[in-house]
Amino acid sequence: MGIGRVAIKRGINAIVLIGMVTVINFFLFRIMPGDPTTMMISPRMTHETRRIILHKFGLDQPLYVQFVRYIQQLLSGNLGISFIYQRPVLDLIVERIPNTVLLLLSSFIITVILSIITGLVAAWKRGSKLDISLIVFGLTMHALPIFWLGGLLLLYFSVQLDLFPVIGVSTPWLKHESVFSYVADVLHHLFLPMMTLGIGNIGGLFLITRNSLLDVFAEDYVTTARAVGVPSRTILFRNVLRNAMLPLVTIIMLRLGFIIGGAVTTETVFTWPGVGLLIYRSVMQEDYPVLQGAFLIITISAVLANFMAEIIYGYLDPRVRYE
Amino acid sequence: MQKVKLRGYEKSIIKFWSQYMESKIGLFGLALLIFFVFVSAFANILAPYPVGPKDGDSKAILKPPTSKYVLGTDELGRDMLSLILYGGRVSLMIGMLSTLMTALIGTIVGVSAGYFGGNTEELLMRFTDIFLVIPGLPLMIVLASILGATFWNMIFVIGVLGWTGTARVLRAQVLSLKEKPFIESARAIGASDARIIGRHILPNVLPLIVAQMVLNIGSSILSASSLSFLGLGDPTHLSWGMTLHYAFGVGALFSNFYWYLIPPGFCITLVVLAFTFIGYSLDQIVNPRIRRR
Repeated sequence: MGIGRVAIKRGINAIVLIGMVTVINFFLFRIMPGDPTTMMISPRMTHETRRIILHKFGLDQPLYVQFVRYIQQLLSGNLGISFIYQRPVLDLIVERIPNTVLLLLSSFIITVILSIITGLVAAWKRGSKLDISLIVFGLTMHALPIFWLGGLLLLYFSVQLDLFPVIGVSTPWLKHESVFSYVADVLHHLFLPMMTLGIGNIGGLFLITRNSLLDVFAEDYVTTARAVGVPSRTILFRNVLRNAMLPLVTIIMLRLGFIIGGAVTTETVFTWPGVGLLIYRSVMQEDYPVLQGAFLIITISAVLANFMAEIIYGYLDPRVRYE
Repeated sequence: MQKVKLRGYEKSIIKFWSQYMESKIGLFGLALLIFFVFVSAFANILAPYPVGPKDGDSKAILKPPTSKYVLGTDELGRDMLSLILYGGRVSLMIGMLSTLMTALIGTIVGVSAGYFGGNTEELLMRFTDIFLVIPGLPLMIVLASILGATFWNMIFVIGVLGWTGTARVLRAQVLSLKEKPFIESARAIGASDARIIGRHILPNVLPLIVAQMVLNIGSSILSASSLSFLGLGDPTHLSWGMTLHYAFGVGALFSNFYWYLIPPGFCITLVVLAFTFIGYSLDQIVNPRIRRR
């Protein structure tokens, strides 16, 4: 099977998944006991307006009619109107995506670099004091609620030491003389949330890196290389790292979906105006169309990241292609 | 002197315990867990003050630590130390109850997928994949906000979504068990599926289930604290996550109420760490994939 066939097969799989997620997303918001339409209509309305709006949006129709309508609306890019902002949900989400992507990608790079370095050191010095301390560090990071870590960093560095701004993505109403001063301002705002999410996610990835390196260390070809006297450094870089990268790339990509969860709480702590903060606010204000739309977008992104991981894996590992 | 005869399972428990004793991380985790379970169980004796909504000291609102209130007070004038002691009960309860549900679903899905194979396996693993690919916390947020923020809803939401890891680990283990001679001979003498699963498969994967459960309690407590922090916790059950939610709510960050912010998060970290340490050490002993290295 060539890489093209694999891609098509995985692609179909991803499309089926997106379809299922869409269906789940439709029914999730209708499983409330009692009137299934309560979730879609703001509770602050009079009975009469409520009835008119229910009719206008087709919410008094049978479920299957509503479902067909929902799919039609989705395909034309309509995710509904926010109760609170009175604006299309899609617009609200799209204008916040760049902030979330910036936070996710920058923190992700920090996580990957730090956990590969620590994982490599730990696996190389297996069983040593350093290895044990790194494991304890990794497990501690795993146990730390990310939003609490963020709160502590904010309390110390921003409130007590006044080194970083406390909210937002840039200084409001500040006229920037050049692009550079704007970028510097954004980076200044980004630093703490990026470090929070970056360090907070190390735990799992560090352990996975260490374990997959140990798996490779146990392979026969590494033992052979050692036995014939190949220098350790050469073994490490030529044999071990190269072979361990394969499972690592996949796991790293798969964790994107997991990291999104941490982004919701981190954005909330730092008032970082991204999709996560939007989700938090829509929960607080019972703005269900926004919650439903944001959840759909997040899930589809996770499915796509997953799909990309599979393609990259198939590209790197010839065994997948020719099975 | 009479010689004590040990039965099979007693021998394996002794062997297991001696292996476990070698893990310093595991012993530390166990000590930490015993401490927290003890403190939470006797919270009503140990707590210096009651923590009901009307029990606050109106003359000591949001006060930093003093000799009277060693960890300070909250916005209702309640003693932080007492809030922490009672909060442990709620957090541990949520973690353990949702894990019971997780273990049950994960075992049923994983064992049936591994044992029956074929279409059953295909269907169940596809089902698992959906839950694996959907980001966990956002799905919990959606479910919790639809169902409403109550103690039992939170347990349900965490329990019904957290079983994928257990299912996958068990499926892999059952797949390799199925090929073992003792299972084949059981099948050859005409034992039913129910008997093979009940008498041979389940006892063999039990240690793995326990290790998964221990790890799951930790991650359930973490999920519960995230949900509570986001305002989806039960206001009548003051878990540590709920206390943190109120801390952020009264602006503890910007007003520098460090005594309100630090203790609940510290306790969450320590308890989850206890479970993570124990689970990690158990996994080193019982997970054949790790043991081989």
